[in-house]
Amino acid sequence: MEKTRKWRWGVHRWWILLFSILTFVGVTYIAVPIQPHIQVAPEELGKISLFGLPPFPLVNTMTAMLLVDIVIIAIAFAVRQSLKGGSMVPKGITSVMETLVEALYNLTKTSAGKWAKEIFPWFATIFIIVLVANLWKLVPGFETIGILHESEHGYAIQNLFGNVHHVLSEEVAHGEAAYTVVPWFRGLSTDLNFTAALALISVFMTQVIGVRAQKAWYFTKFFNFTTMFKKPALGFMDFIVSILELISELAKILSFAFRLFGVMFSGTVLVALVGVMAPVFVPSLVFMFELFMGVIQAFVFGMLTLVFMAQATQGHGEHADH
Amino acid sequence: MSGDIIMAAKFIGAGLAMIGALGAGIGIGLSVHGALNGMARNPDAYGNLFTNMILGIAFSEAIAIYCLVIAFLMLFVL
Repeated sequence: MEKTRKWRWGVHRWWILLFSILTFVGVTYIAVPIQPHIQVAPEELGKISLFGLPPFPLVNTMTAMLLVDIVIIAIAFAVRQSLKGGSMVPKGITSVMETLVEALYNLTKTSAGKWAKEIFPWFATIFIIVLVANLWKLVPGFETIGILHESEHGYAIQNLFGNVHHVLSEEVAHGEAAYTVVPWFRGLSTDLNFTAALALISVFMTQVIGVRAQKAWYFTKFFNFTTMFKKPALGFMDFIVSILELISELAKILSFAFRLFGVMFSGTVLVALVGVMAPVFVPSLVFMFELFMGVIQAFVFGMLTLVFMAQATQGHGEHADH
Repeated sequence: MSGDIIMAAKFIGAGLAMIGALGAGIGIGLSVHGALNGMARNPDAYGNLFTNMILGIAFSEAIAIYCLVIAFLMLFVL
């Protein structure tokens, strides 16, 4: 029998202590953290126009969207390249992706049954894009490096080298220019447009899959007049209940969009505020919490899509055979 | 002066809006309570219970998040 070793702290505590001291020195003398300007709408980087259309604002979640897309496509290419070799044993990123996709497919199969093949692409796509977006948000510098903008409630800046500046924590004297930073990238899920788009896709495709599974009988879920003529009193109640079903279907869009947006945006605010108030060691705990929250929210968004779609494929009782 | 009053009202409003998180906390506690009881009685059902527990938590958490969004709107947008 293996002997259990006594728990010891090991060498890691010295690393933690070293980094804590370095951070302390850093935030006291080199880069004093400043109170961030918190804004719900994504910041505008500039205007671009494509194909001669009227120019539209390029916001910093749009660049983050492109980055997330590039990362996902790069992972897909890496997996494809390593599968081309003909080796049956996956290794590295391929094995991670295989485990992930297999786990997701098994999950789909247990709750959707024979409709798993239809539902799986939507579930997996939503899960993977939200997961990558939420994890990529935690990379240092993601919401802190950007373009300087002159504004009235800004801070003084210091030239480091070339065209690179560093925002100081002092208020500027009167008459000098004050600056704020507009970051190049901002967490994708902190933009309500992204979450609302995902919610619309999810709810709309739920209807499509429901119609495919049950044909026109699917709509009796929302306008249930099938029982109205057989037993008038109870049938009328069924009709009212089905109207409520319709309202709750529309409310799904709201709850999908606001859940992801709320959690991720409050995470951003939490990281920013804790980074100002207790910049030594404490932010790492907050980052750990954010990591957890990002994974959980991606799972919840995908899982709810899966469950609603699986529900849409099943009729309620009497029309199940159609 | 009136600006200060509006400021104070914003903060009070945001604080009041977060009272709604009380219900979500109770709800999450109840759902985890039920799921853990089930897992303790029937450890084989762990996986199934766990996914459903996460879903239930997500639903009740959404209420708290509506409150949070309202509080954010009061603080930073209005």
